[in-house]
Amino acid sequence: MANIAEARIKREFKEVVKSEEVAKCHIKVELVNDTFTELRGEIAGPPDTPYEGGNFILEIKIPDTYPFNPPKVKFVTKIWHPNISSVTGAICLDILKDQWAAAMTLRTVLLSLQALLAAAEPDDPQDAVVAKQYKENPKIFQDTAKHWTHVYAGGPNRTPELDAKVAQLSGMGFDANKVRVALSSHSWDAERATEYLIS
Amino acid sequence: MSAAASSSQGGAEGGTHPPGEEEQGESSAYYECNICLDTAKDPVVSMCGHLFCWPCLHQWLETRPNRQMCPVCKAGIGKDKVVPIYGRGCTKPQDPREKMPPRPHGQRPEPENAGGIFPGFGFGDGGFHMSFGIGAFPFGMFASTFNFNDGRPGPPPPASPQHAEEQFLSKFFIWVAVLFIFWLLIA
Repeated sequence: MANIAEARIKREFKEVVKSEEVAKCHIKVELVNDTFTELRGEIAGPPDTPYEGGNFILEIKIPDTYPFNPPKVKFVTKIWHPNISSVTGAICLDILKDQWAAAMTLRTVLLSLQALLAAAEPDDPQDAVVAKQYKENPKIFQDTAKHWTHVYAGGPNRTPELDAKVAQLSGMGFDANKVRVALSSHSWDAERATEYLIS
Repeated sequence: MSAAASSSQGGAEGGTHPPGEEEQGESSAYYECNICLDTAKDPVVSMCGHLFCWPCLHQWLETRPNRQMCPVCKAGIGKDKVVPIYGRGCTKPQDPREKMPPRPHGQRPEPENAGGIFPGFGFGDGGFHMSFGIGAFPFGMFASTFNFNDGRPGPPPPASPQHAEEQFLSKFFIWVAVLFIFWLLIA
């Protein structure tokens, strides 16, 4: 890795570790290996959102050309959000693409992602199914996002009726994760979800 | 979103390094380059007031040649829109924008055509390339004569064995060409 990238990550690492957000357990960065090319981020779901109470793990890859090019970030924790792929965890956020600026840091990236969780951008979606639901059926979107936060990010269980629906279909021999995706994408309509699972 | 990031960055600079509160090392944080986060070397300041090492800013401007903006606040920025800073300690004030040699641009040489159409038609490994086509021979010859700067390896240094060899080969082929044209004329 180029020297400037490594030197900068080392400095940023200290910055994140001693920043006040860490003290409040809002964001966290950990090393995955000793080369500073791969990091593991963690952000807390922002309050007053369906993601509240969840802890979301991020995979951060630092390119050789950092900080002149943005880090490659994706969600490891599965999440239901219009700008994050529910399948791959890929993120659609301008500052991770063309709006990146060299003065941004890991800390600002993580805070921006946290802000993205609080304010989705359904008109520039990464996951079209989720974005459609967000716009057309906000109540179902909220419940689905809460449910995913509970199941994958360790958030509180605020949607027991959805758990029951997942359990009912998984009882028929389907994989629970697939059942969850099918139900989530079909407005929790068990019949349509089953059709989707069979096809 | 990006605005939020920028402003939180700005807020952190003001908030986490209050003047005189930390030990002496912290005061140098005011003179940190916004790109490498180290104390700025060959410092320049933008019209919007942001400090950078000239090498760092130069590389940033090179990375985005068609979107020249300040990495901190996204204001317009450019080589002629930054001011170099000369402290008292610097004995020989020289504009860092001139001192810094423009970094060499990336080059994309054509891939070596190893073997090609006539695998057995090489002239050893001395890097001698001859590109005439049989069909359009005279034009081929001109093409090979006037193909300057097309990404082939340069000629070997004079007085090296390859140089002598190439000189011999080029003279030899000129004679072959002359004889061929002569034959075309009288035939």
